Amino acid sequence: MEHRAYDPRGIVHAEHRELAPRVASPLGLRLGILDNTKWNGRRVLERTAELLGAASPFASVTRYTKESFSVNAEDALIARIAAENDLALIGIGD
Amino acid sequence: MLAGEWSGMTSLAHRALEPNAGLAPPPADLVEHYFEQAWSDGLPVVPPTQAKIDAVVAVLGGDPQYAEAVIPPRGGTLTREVLAVNMVMAGCKPEYAPVVRAAILALCTKQWNLNGVQATTHMAAPLLVVNGPIRHAIGMNAGHNVFGSGNRANATIGRAIRLILLTVGGGTPGDLDKSTLGHPGKYTYCIAENEELSPWAPYHVEHGMAPEDSAVFVIAAEPPHSVVNHVANDARGILDSIVSAMSTYAHNNAVAGGSCAVVIGPEHAATIAASGFSRLDVRSYLWMNAGNTWGEISFDDRYAGGGKVYNKALPKWYQRETNARIPIVERPDDIHLFVAGGAAGRFSAFIPGWGRMTSPVLRRIDGAEPPAGAVCVDGTCAL
Repeated sequence: MEHRAYDPRGIVHAEHRELAPRVASPLGLRLGILDNTKWNGRRVLERTAELLGAASPFASVTRYTKESFSVNAEDALIARIAAENDLALIGIGD
Repeated sequence: MLAGEWSGMTSLAHRALEPNAGLAPPPADLVEHYFEQAWSDGLPVVPPTQAKIDAVVAVLGGDPQYAEAVIPPRGGTLTREVLAVNMVMAGCKPEYAPVVRAAILALCTKQWNLNGVQATTHMAAPLLVVNGPIRHAIGMNAGHNVFGSGNRANATIGRAIRLILLTVGGGTPGDLDKSTLGHPGKYTYCIAENEELSPWAPYHVEHGMAPEDSAVFVIAAEPPHSVVNHVANDARGILDSIVSAMSTYAHNNAVAGGSCAVVIGPEHAATIAASGFSRLDVRSYLWMNAGNTWGEISFDDRYAGGGKVYNKALPKWYQRETNARIPIVERPDDIHLFVAGGAAGRFSAFIPGWGRMTSPVLRRIDGAEPPAGAVCVDGTCAL
């Protein structure tokens, strides 16, 4: 009998991308918040923005909403958030 | 590139351990080896051999490196070789391959939202329902204990789907699969419609296909909830019992709409049909009579602070008023009706879905598109 193992997982094809550099301070930056439509997620995001901006106020805070928590944000929405902000805040609260 | 290898990705969490060629000799006990690699659903797998893999690939059309799909959320590439490896591990015969492939391709459509189903905290699992001549060709069970154990085709087709979601899709419980509870259908959840004991056109014919077509329907589903009714001798009595099973605000459909399935046992189906009810009549009756009030699904606004009301997920045209009736799903067409089970027994089942975050998909086994446009109401003219 053949004595060999076969890996069932398949290859993942993905491009390597570097992380964006960390910002030293949010002071004066434009913050975009992406709401995933879940109420606990919204609480986490709002509280996080509040804490982040307490000492170093943002220039602006703009809120966006996904179509549904269960699907990726549309490319157009992601592009808009990127164009209108310096920082984006996302998170999950189930 | 070989199965299991990564291409340009540096993630350590999911880095492949070993490609399929050049493997170090595994321990003597291959079954234990697959357990140790976490290449299992928790049950022993059948260790693949090259001959068994080749037999499945041949049924799929050859070309083992042909990519059939990419399985989320991990994003593994499901080549025919990888599909075959998982099918052999599940215990499938090669002739099951067209059904497994069609089901996977249906799961990978955008509207099915496999990424969401894999990752959700809900318990949903893909339920497969197979129609057409292939049911007999591969020996599927549409009769007694249809959701239960005992049939190789039903059991291993559903198991192959789960293994692919685990291994290629990375749906490991607690990791990318965040289901709080899961359910037993996450081992295998695959049935055939009992077309022979159904008084109506088969499901796939209702949806515009020909009786000689074979098709698979996939829906993200909770487990079946039994519906007993030994007393009614008319459609209304049987259907009111199903309405009762549907009319709770505990399942996802009640608060998030979407689609559900109803599986009617042959005895119940005969009683319903004797009252002159068509498939459309059944779905319409269930839709019209099953439901909750807005007050029930919103808990009379007891938790409305902070927007904690099941609101946005439901259609805009539902009245948000305490006594307004809220149907279980938006339209009668969102109730997917099948006849299945053994000839004896006055039982049916209600199967809730995940919600509007997913839409079920019906796909022909051969991949061909059904004729455009409705053939006729209930599909009966296609018979």
